[in-house]
Amino acid sequence: MGNTSRRAFVRELLLSTDNALPSAGERTLVCVFLRGAADTLNMVIPYADDGYYSLRPTIGIRPQTELRLDDFYAFHPNLAQLLPAFKEGRLGIVQAVGTDNPTGSHFEAQDQMEHGESYGHMIGGGWLGRYLRTRASNMTPLSAVTIGATIPESLRGAPTASAIESVEEVQIKAPGGNAAAVSSVLSTLYGAEVGMVGQAGKATLDLLRRVELLRSATYTPENDATYFDDSFSHGLKEIARLIKAHVGLEVACLDLGGWDTHFFQGSTSGLQADLIRQLSGGLVAFDKDLGAQRDRVTILVMTEFGRRTYENSSLGTDHGRGFAMFALGGHVNGGKVHGRWPGLVEESSSQTDALNPVGPSGLKVLIDYRSVLAEVLTKFLGVREVSHVFPNFQPEPVGVVM
Amino acid sequence: MDSRRRALLKALGLIGATLPFTACERLISSVSQQLGQSIPGRLNLADSSEIDPSFHLLSRAAYGSWPGDLDHVRSMGSERWIEEQLNPESIDDTACDLRARRFETIWHEPGTCYEYKKPVLREEITRHTLLRALYSKRQLLEVMVGFWTDHLNINLEKGDCIYLKPSDDRLVIRAHALGKFKDLIRASATSPAMLVYLDGKENQKKEPGDVPNENYARELLELHTLGVDGGYTQTDVYEAARSLTGWRLRTGWRKGTVYFDPTLHDDGEKRVLGQLISAGGGELDVDRVVAIACRHPATAHHIATKLARRFVSENPPSSLVQRLASVFTTTDGDIKSLLRTLLTSDEFKSAKGLKFKRPFQYIVSCLRALGADTHAHQPLIEYLHRMGQGPFQYPTPDGYPDRTEPWLGTLLWRWNFAFGAASNRLPTVTVPLNELAQAIGGFRPEGLLPYFIGRKGSEAELNAIGDYYRSNHDGAEVMALVLASPAFQRC
Repeated sequence: MGNTSRRAFVRELLLSTDNALPSAGERTLVCVFLRGAADTLNMVIPYADDGYYSLRPTIGIRPQTELRLDDFYAFHPNLAQLLPAFKEGRLGIVQAVGTDNPTGSHFEAQDQMEHGESYGHMIGGGWLGRYLRTRASNMTPLSAVTIGATIPESLRGAPTASAIESVEEVQIKAPGGNAAAVSSVLSTLYGAEVGMVGQAGKATLDLLRRVELLRSATYTPENDATYFDDSFSHGLKEIARLIKAHVGLEVACLDLGGWDTHFFQGSTSGLQADLIRQLSGGLVAFDKDLGAQRDRVTILVMTEFGRRTYENSSLGTDHGRGFAMFALGGHVNGGKVHGRWPGLVEESSSQTDALNPVGPSGLKVLIDYRSVLAEVLTKFLGVREVSHVFPNFQPEPVGVVM
Repeated sequence: MDSRRRALLKALGLIGATLPFTACERLISSVSQQLGQSIPGRLNLADSSEIDPSFHLLSRAAYGSWPGDLDHVRSMGSERWIEEQLNPESIDDTACDLRARRFETIWHEPGTCYEYKKPVLREEITRHTLLRALYSKRQLLEVMVGFWTDHLNINLEKGDCIYLKPSDDRLVIRAHALGKFKDLIRASATSPAMLVYLDGKENQKKEPGDVPNENYARELLELHTLGVDGGYTQTDVYEAARSLTGWRLRTGWRKGTVYFDPTLHDDGEKRVLGQLISAGGGELDVDRVVAIACRHPATAHHIATKLARRFVSENPPSSLVQRLASVFTTTDGDIKSLLRTLLTSDEFKSAKGLKFKRPFQYIVSCLRALGADTHAHQPLIEYLHRMGQGPFQYPTPDGYPDRTEPWLGTLLWRWNFAFGAASNRLPTVTVPLNELAQAIGGFRPEGLLPYFIGRKGSEAELNAIGDYYRSNHDGAEVMALVLASPAFQRC
């Protein structure tokens, strides 16, 4: 880690109050990770590039006119539901994002992205963990939540991080089942306690009461939002509940897996189309449900790398490089596809650069993934010194967050 | 060792070799009970409204008391106990060894560690650390291992550290935890894990114009020795970094072993903290830099402050810090002398119940007080991750914070840990609840409170928990409430 930055980081931790930052949980960053390397070329389709159709004679998609985003890109039919969010400017896309990872390994590329590193320069902790360390005051059990069984790499090193399947888990697990009586004893005990520990106990019990209210009430999504009955949508619904309940949620992580489509990927229907439907169904319901709260939330959708530009002999696509990232929320500069189209020429080893080392080919990477993450941190979450999170990295402006 | 014990160990060795792991662990659990990890039939309880001094000592100089420890310290006397703990080799630790020694990778050289997969390495060193903290009778040593692990923090997940930390834990931290401070720092300076973690292996001078990589040199002065306000200059950092050029790690055969490459060393004259390091020192420059930094008065003050913060209070009294700093100076940084002064000081004795336990200490002190039987499998480790204090997982070189505030968000998970532990529902952990209750004299709060928090319950505590006991009659929950209470969060 950079020395001066770490020193400043430690100093900031010691001072620990920074009025410019939004107060804890006022804003929430939701990170969706598409595990398995999503073929974003068939999601945000470069229909105006003829090369796309010659490289993908079977799985290439010719979208209807109404799915066009501009005169170059169009949505996969199963993303149609997200068109209004795009047209209303809440959904933005960044093209040709990626890492400098040359291995083509899901595991390594995911780890690298979640750690927020350059290839081969492991810096310790996850990028969200490091972010949360800069905010290490007023943490609650719900400051950082992942909907799932285990805490993702991105949250490593966070002051607290909770892996939960649903809000149901955020409660006192008294073995006799008498949580109310137990809470009341704790309330008396912590109430009699002066100082920080007493405060924290009371704050935690207060938080539990609010979550309890959430739990006891049947949750009705607002604005006629309808969540699908799958785990991805369930996860987003839980996150929406937490956001609306003002429980201090700062970061939420959620996975949608199964994108490793080497084999019979399908096109407008099939394996990947089903996943795209799940993704867009969840995002649309979440966006609708948040309604007036959208300004408090940014959702980022990322994957570890894109796929080859051409289809393989088993009508799938193999591991590639660059991909499109999605950002959704009230602070997103949406309604357009940011970033230059790199073209579909499979780059040869003579054209390598820092972001495109020798390795699996695919869409050329033009934007380091950390530039997008850094922009969310600075513009949405008010982080002043992004080098605390991404040491030794100089982000470039992307323009996807306002 | 008596013959019964010898026979037991022999049997264990024979059977252990042929049994599957779970059976082996069951056997180890049962043997270790016979070796003294069992619950005594009767436990004397603290009987004052002030925290018992021996209990206080066990809360800070150990990871809390195992059933019977309080009686042990009371009967032998605090000072004798401290002396015994300061000479850990005099304490038989067979029962703990049975649980903790069997992880292969903690004994390996870096080169051999490279042959293992990362999850295996991570699991073994983590379980080893937790099991030692839980079961070792050399508790002060374990507490100091934790202290220096934070002080010389290395994150397993950076670079190749995961392959190199096992030998760092053994040859740097554990070997010198109660030794001389300068030996600890010297060992750390060329430890493979540290050379990777703070980029020392990249620090070289090949061509005349090459500038050094200052990362390690800066942290050496800022964190490991003088402290951020220790009065060093940027030039000192630069000159120290120059002195430390040339230390490399082998690749290929004996991968990860350290060697000194004179062709990459800046062999010119340097001046660090006002002291001259003559040209031509070669690989001895590192000894000079470490000696200069360790002998600097700011280092005595910095280490004294950190020790007093860990053992006494977040804002330790300056009288104590000064005294410790002068002990540091007169004993050339003798860690045992520092601890002896610290633990017998009036400041230590009067600072009872003031510190907020960090998650690791909370979990270990819970399990120790309960006399729990565990082999520290992943479900238990997960509690540490959930509370943000997984061993060797802190990202930055300053180590897990020794302050209250960063940990205040963990109360809910502590409470649920308490309920899980006291009702015997923690996966892979067994608590001998009934034996414990019997030894304490039942599940009444009047007995449980003194046992777990080292003093008689206050009226508020007795009323709140007593009401619950009278209306619910659930002993395990009453025990959990004590472990979840504010008093048990502190030590």
